[in-house]
Amino acid sequence: MSRFDRSDPPGAGPMRVFDFPDVDVTRLATGLEVRVARLSRLPVVSVNLFMPAGEFELDPDRAGLSVLTGDVLEGGTRKRSGAELDEALESVGARMGVSTGWEGTNVSISCLADRLPAALEILAEAVLEPDFPEEEFARARDQSLAAIRQRAMDPSALASDQASMRYFAPGVPYARPLGGTVESVSALGRDDLRGYADAWYRPGTLVVVGDIDSGEMEEMAAGVFSGWEGVSPPRRDGDIVPPTRERKIHVVDLPGAVQSEIRVGHVTVGRSHPDVFSLVVANTLLGGAFTSRLNLNLRERNGFTYGVRSRFNMRNRGGCFEVSTAVGAEVTDAAVREIMTELETLVREGPTEEEVRASRDYVAGVFPLQLETAGQVASRMTEVVVYGLPEDYHRTYRDRIRGVTVDDAARAVGGHVRPGEAQIVVVGNAEEIVPRLEALGLGPVEVG
Amino acid sequence: MLRVPWERHVLENGLRVILAPDTAVPVVAVNLWYGVGSRNEGAGKTGFAHLFEHMMFQGSAHVPKNRHFELVERAGGSSNATTWFDRTNYYETLPSHHLELGLWLEADRMGWMLDAMTADKLENQREVVKNERRQRYDNQPYGDWDERLQALAYPATHPYHHPVIGSMADIDGATLEDVSAFFRTFYVPNNAVLTIAGDFHGEAALEAVRRYFGEIERGSPVPPLPGEPELPPVLGATVRDDVVSRVPLPRVIAAFRIPSYASDDFYTAEVAQGVLGTGRASRLYRRLVRERRVAKDVVTYAYPILTGASMMVVWATGYPGTSLESLEGALFEEVESLSGVTDAEVARAVALAETDLVRSLERVGDRADILSMLELYFGDPERLNREVDRMRAVTAAQVREFAGRYLGSDNRAVVTYLPEEGA
Repeated sequence: MSRFDRSDPPGAGPMRVFDFPDVDVTRLATGLEVRVARLSRLPVVSVNLFMPAGEFELDPDRAGLSVLTGDVLEGGTRKRSGAELDEALESVGARMGVSTGWEGTNVSISCLADRLPAALEILAEAVLEPDFPEEEFARARDQSLAAIRQRAMDPSALASDQASMRYFAPGVPYARPLGGTVESVSALGRDDLRGYADAWYRPGTLVVVGDIDSGEMEEMAAGVFSGWEGVSPPRRDGDIVPPTRERKIHVVDLPGAVQSEIRVGHVTVGRSHPDVFSLVVANTLLGGAFTSRLNLNLRERNGFTYGVRSRFNMRNRGGCFEVSTAVGAEVTDAAVREIMTELETLVREGPTEEEVRASRDYVAGVFPLQLETAGQVASRMTEVVVYGLPEDYHRTYRDRIRGVTVDDAARAVGGHVRPGEAQIVVVGNAEEIVPRLEALGLGPVEVG
Repeated sequence: MLRVPWERHVLENGLRVILAPDTAVPVVAVNLWYGVGSRNEGAGKTGFAHLFEHMMFQGSAHVPKNRHFELVERAGGSSNATTWFDRTNYYETLPSHHLELGLWLEADRMGWMLDAMTADKLENQREVVKNERRQRYDNQPYGDWDERLQALAYPATHPYHHPVIGSMADIDGATLEDVSAFFRTFYVPNNAVLTIAGDFHGEAALEAVRRYFGEIERGSPVPPLPGEPELPPVLGATVRDDVVSRVPLPRVIAAFRIPSYASDDFYTAEVAQGVLGTGRASRLYRRLVRERRVAKDVVTYAYPILTGASMMVVWATGYPGTSLESLEGALFEEVESLSGVTDAEVARAVALAETDLVRSLERVGDRADILSMLELYFGDPERLNREVDRMRAVTAAQVREFAGRYLGSDNRAVVTYLPEEGA
């Protein structure tokens, strides 16, 4: 045994004050907003150019256009081929990436600080003067169609895509896969991409984080983006509604599967809803941390799974609440039953004071750990733009989290977790699991 | 050039301690590497090093089950562990005022883990690990690729012949006695490196390390590796495993036997794989994806592993209509074209590697992980500060010679996946 008493965990030392870095915000005469935060610890820079050009704004027959346009940006400009662009970027050790989501398109750069001028020029050339060469377009379209095929045969991706279809009514964009369908992508042509970029790639926000001075940065941005003007078309409205409020189980057959992918969820509110802080705390204790109720039950007590999570996936105009896991085929029904029991118990009885305290401490305490890298800070700064959050959002975040009471959390759960409306999606071996899911008596079981 | 400061101390029980202060963000990393991995598993015990890693989270003398994660999360930290061929690592990233919590937790399980072991805990984690295997290997298209590739690239007598996750039968066969024996053999302070990186005070931290870890008893030296770790430098032939299974697209995955991570030639291997597959200006992306359009995606990777020989892996995923023959032919054609590599290509690969290296220092957790590795593998954390210069010293001529020696048809293990009919 130990020579000294190790029984209790050591107490904490004095806490160091830490704040979100200062952000300088200016708008260039051409309309481009520039947000800069200086982090001088390492000679690196992360850049995000965000434009509100997202998949949400597209009609269903154009689904995938925004993603595909972003994908072909690396394909070349009026001055240089795609291969030449890449060689120029990578010879200074820079990487450029384009990621397109429901709310917009983000073109990012990661490089060492002294190479930023060269890298930023290439980014600007790619976005302002894209050429969408036919060969590059055809390649990206084939890649996109192949990726759709991959998702359809990946049990986890398939379950997530099927679940979105069950949470949102058919007319809601969030119901469809982000990258579009085989039909919609096959119908897109090179001219669609040109037209899309011309209308939607308009000055948004340039976020720069790293070992860089904000004055210099603004000058650099004014130079490389000079002449880039105009505004994107207005965002569309639309209610985020479910296809049904009746609880159902949807089984997608994967003959012989040794595991079942499970999703349980329903529509929820958007990111700007006032309950968001209470929901973050409540979700942490439900399924947002290792020691959450769901994980301790399904993994640490029952051994059904390698892991289970719940989350409120809150986007601009609404979102979904979802529990997700993969479990052994033979315990599929037991796992669904435990998930529903945990949801119902939490809604009925609310969380305990101790759970809420632990969740608050976790969420507030872990905040600085998520701000170590330039890329992490840039993501947070971009979030403010994407979701129209208040400028002091990150400065006040921990206080808002610490202000959540047990009553707030209980009220948020009561209002935003609705087990009676849950859509339960299971991708697995139908022959083995359907009879047992029917026996749960949770609602109709549909296969297909 | 950037220099990461560090200092080393060795406790009387043999525990090596690396301290690397950086006060930019109030975050501290506690990172422990044990010199044990899947290579130390004997026949019939595959997957045990990883199953044991799970057991390390099931409590110790003063830490009941689930308490480890409760305390770390309550402190606003994160904690995890991974098992690989040559090592197992455990780590906490914490707000810096909770440094001692991390030390207390790690010391308790290094010293007194067996006090809390029960059959129920083993049964529970056995099921969790079996589900991890199902999720990552058995229920995943291409999920068994590394299992198949290792079986081809390393002979049955070599410790890398089997995958880290192990077989279901061996996972089923693990006993409480195995847990005790493994702990006593490998989880000893003289077989571990502890790194603290980030926001801490050097002397106070060292004092705390001595307090928590100093009285843990030194163990015996770890036994030699099972099987036959030595290998000829090349495979001597192309060996293959052609699979028809429920996959969406054809894929070719090839491994070349290359010098170990401990060899100076590994830097050449790193540059060679960068020229081939890192970034969109790389040979495989430009030729196979962009120009010839036979591949949807390409990946290359050189394994930083030590025992006998390492592997450089390249893969290419085709389109639905691509034949495996044409995909494999095109892949090897481009690999062989490395014999004509240019100085500009080498310079690009090195420039990207330099950026990636600096990026890998941004998080104190990653920084600690690299320092622990370099101390455990080489007794040389300073290698981190020489890494960029070593990469820059690699010449196009060396890459050409490397390609000639290691990337030919006499040194290939090939796994192909063909979508089954009707898929």
